[in-house]
Amino acid sequence: MGIISLEKQDHLFWLGRYCERVYTTIRTFLLGYDRMLDDENSGYKAICQMLDIPDIYKDEEDFIKTYVYSSKDVNSIYSNLRRAYDNAIVLRDEISSISLSYIQMALDDMEEYSNKPFSLLQLQLIIDLLLAFWGSVDVYVLSDNSRDLIKCGRSLERLDLYIRLGYPKERLAREFHMFETRMGRISPLQYNFEAYNTFSTAIRNKAVLKQQLDTLNKIFVRR
Amino acid sequence: MQSLVEHTGRINDLLARYGVKFGIYKNHVFHEQLFPFDPLPRVIPKDEFTLLEKGLVQRVNALNAFLRDIYGGKQIIANKIIPEEFIFSSKGFLPQCDGFVPPKGIYSHISGIDLVQAKDKTWYILEDNLRIPSGASYPLIARKLCRLASPETFTKNHVVTNKIYPQMLKETMDNVNTGGLNVILTPGRYNAAFFEHSYLAEMTGSVLAMNNDLFVDNNNLFYKDNNGSAKRVGALYRRISDEFLDPMNFLPESLIGVPNLLTAYRSGNVAIINAPGNGVADDKGIYYFVPTMIKYYLDEEPILKNAPTYLMFDEKQRKQSLARMDELVFKDVSEAGGYGVVFGRELSQDKKTELAELIEEQPRRFVAQEIIDFIDLPILEDGKEVLRKADLRAFVLAGTTTKVWPCGLTRFSRNPTSFIVNSSQGGGFKDTWVLSR
Repeated sequence: MGIISLEKQDHLFWLGRYCERVYTTIRTFLLGYDRMLDDENSGYKAICQMLDIPDIYKDEEDFIKTYVYSSKDVNSIYSNLRRAYDNAIVLRDEISSISLSYIQMALDDMEEYSNKPFSLLQLQLIIDLLLAFWGSVDVYVLSDNSRDLIKCGRSLERLDLYIRLGYPKERLAREFHMFETRMGRISPLQYNFEAYNTFSTAIRNKAVLKQQLDTLNKIFVRR
Repeated sequence: MQSLVEHTGRINDLLARYGVKFGIYKNHVFHEQLFPFDPLPRVIPKDEFTLLEKGLVQRVNALNAFLRDIYGGKQIIANKIIPEEFIFSSKGFLPQCDGFVPPKGIYSHISGIDLVQAKDKTWYILEDNLRIPSGASYPLIARKLCRLASPETFTKNHVVTNKIYPQMLKETMDNVNTGGLNVILTPGRYNAAFFEHSYLAEMTGSVLAMNNDLFVDNNNLFYKDNNGSAKRVGALYRRISDEFLDPMNFLPESLIGVPNLLTAYRSGNVAIINAPGNGVADDKGIYYFVPTMIKYYLDEEPILKNAPTYLMFDEKQRKQSLARMDELVFKDVSEAGGYGVVFGRELSQDKKTELAELIEEQPRRFVAQEIIDFIDLPILEDGKEVLRKADLRAFVLAGTTTKVWPCGLTRFSRNPTSFIVNSSQGGGFKDTWVLSR
C-alpha cells in the first residue's frame, strides 16, 4: 500500500505490542505456573509482581483461571489478545487477510477454551498461531514501513517486558539495537525524540532501567 | 460436487478464520455473526445468464438515465410519466444534488439488483439497490475456498470464474477517478458490512479510510497520511448512507461523515460511488415505474419483469389491494434489509385493520406485491438436503460500459416457512455459478 494514516500507524504499532505482550506473558506465565505447582506459598503473587500487574485475585486458583481466560480482567492474556485483534481487524488492507486470520484464530480458540474444562495445554496453540502471524507478517505485509511499524511495536514491548522481567542487559541491548534499526527505516516517523534520547543513553550506560520504563513508553504515545 | 459437500464444515471453518462475518445490533449491543455458507450452489446455465445479463444491463442503464434526468431536466415529470409527488416526496431525493452531473454522468456505479426465480423459471426483479449494496465479497471469498476444497468440481462443471470482481470494481473506480487515490470510506469496524469494506480494499488495492482520515480543503477531498501530508482523493467508494455522509450538508449530528464532502463533489473534484441521491431511484414506490422508464429512456421493451406491484398511492389500486390483503405482501418503501415487509396472511384481524389504516393515512409509504412463489433451492441441514426459499443479488457495475458480474450472492432462508432471506434475519448464503457452456 505505502500510504497510511496516523490512525493506521498507531494500530500497526499497537498490534505489534499486544501480540508480543500475549506471547511473552504466556511464556512467562507458563514458567511461573510450573514453579507455582511445587510452591505452597501463593507463588502466584510472585508472577503478579514479575509482570507488574495488580493482585486482584482471591487465590491461586482464581489467578490461574482469571489471568488466562477472563474478559473481565483487563490484564488477562485474553484481554491483551482481544486488544491485538481490535488493532488487527482494522488493518486487513495493510496486513492481508492471511496475517489477520492468525489473530482471528487465536482469539476464536481462546474464546472456545474459556468455555471448556480448564487446561493450559491450549496455550501452546495460541503461541503457535502468534508465531505463524509473525511469519505471515514477513511474507504478506508488502509495505516495508508497515512491517517495520509492527516490529517496532514488538521490540518496544519486548524492551518493556524484558526490563520488568529482569532479562540480561545483553538481551536488552540487542533488542534496543533492533528497535533503533527499524525506527530508522520508517519514513516518516513522528516520535518523542527526547524520550528516545533519554532511554537510549540509559540503556547504553546500563542505568537502572526499571526507572526508565515511563520514558520508554513515551517514545510512541497513542494519540 | 460430493467432495465439495464433504468439505462444508472445513469451508465454514475457513470462512470463520478469515473473519467472514456480519454485525448486527440487538438491543443496542453489537454482535458479530458468522454468515452460514451452504456448499450447494445456485447454478445458472449460460443461456439463462445471457438473458439475465441483458435485462440487468438494460435496467441499470435506464435507472442511470432516470437519475440524470431527475437531477437534471426532469423530463420524465414534465412528460407526466411519473407523478412529481413520487419524486419529491421520496426520502431518497436530495435537493442538494439537484442540477449537478457527477463524473461521466454515472450515478449508480455498483447496483445490487435482487431477483427471484418463480417455479416456471421466470426471473422477477424484487428490488433495486442503488445506494450501498453489499454482499459481493461473500461469494468471492467462498468460491476461492471451494476451489481449494474440490478442484475437480470446478474443472468438470465449466463454471465461469468470479475472481474478476475486484478488477471490475477497480476499473469502475478508475473510470470516474478525477485524479487521486481510490478510497473506500467505512463507518468503522462496528458496521454490519465491515468485513466487506476491508476485504474489498485489500482486493482492489484501495485505501480503507474512516472519516477522520479525510478532509476537504479548497473544494478537494484529501487523505491525511502519517506524515501529516495530504494526498488527493479522486474516487470515494463510500459505504456510508447519504444522510451521514456530510454533516455540513446533511445530518448535522453525523459523526461518521466528512464535512464539506458534498461541496468537493459538486465542484467536480471527486467522484462519489455511488452518487448521493440515488435513493430516489431505488425507492420501492419508484420500482413500480422502472419498466416504464426503460421504455421512456431506452425505447426498449423491458427484458426482465417486475413482481406485480400495486401503488397504495393510487386510490383504485389501494382499494383493490386492501380488499385482498391475505394474498399480498405489503412493503414500506423506505425500509430495507427485510424490514418493513408484511405478509397480509400472517396478520391477525386487528393488525390487518391497523395496517390498512396506516396505508390510508400514508399511502405513498407503501406498495403491495403479489406473493411470488419463488423457487426453492436445496440446502444442507444436518447433512440432509432440504428445500428453502432463496433470492439472488446480482451485481451490475457501470464503468466505461455496464457489466454484470458473472456470479452473485444467493441468500436463503433457514426457516422452512419464511420468504425472508436477509442475513440480518438469520439467513445464509450460497455461491452462484454461471456456466460457460
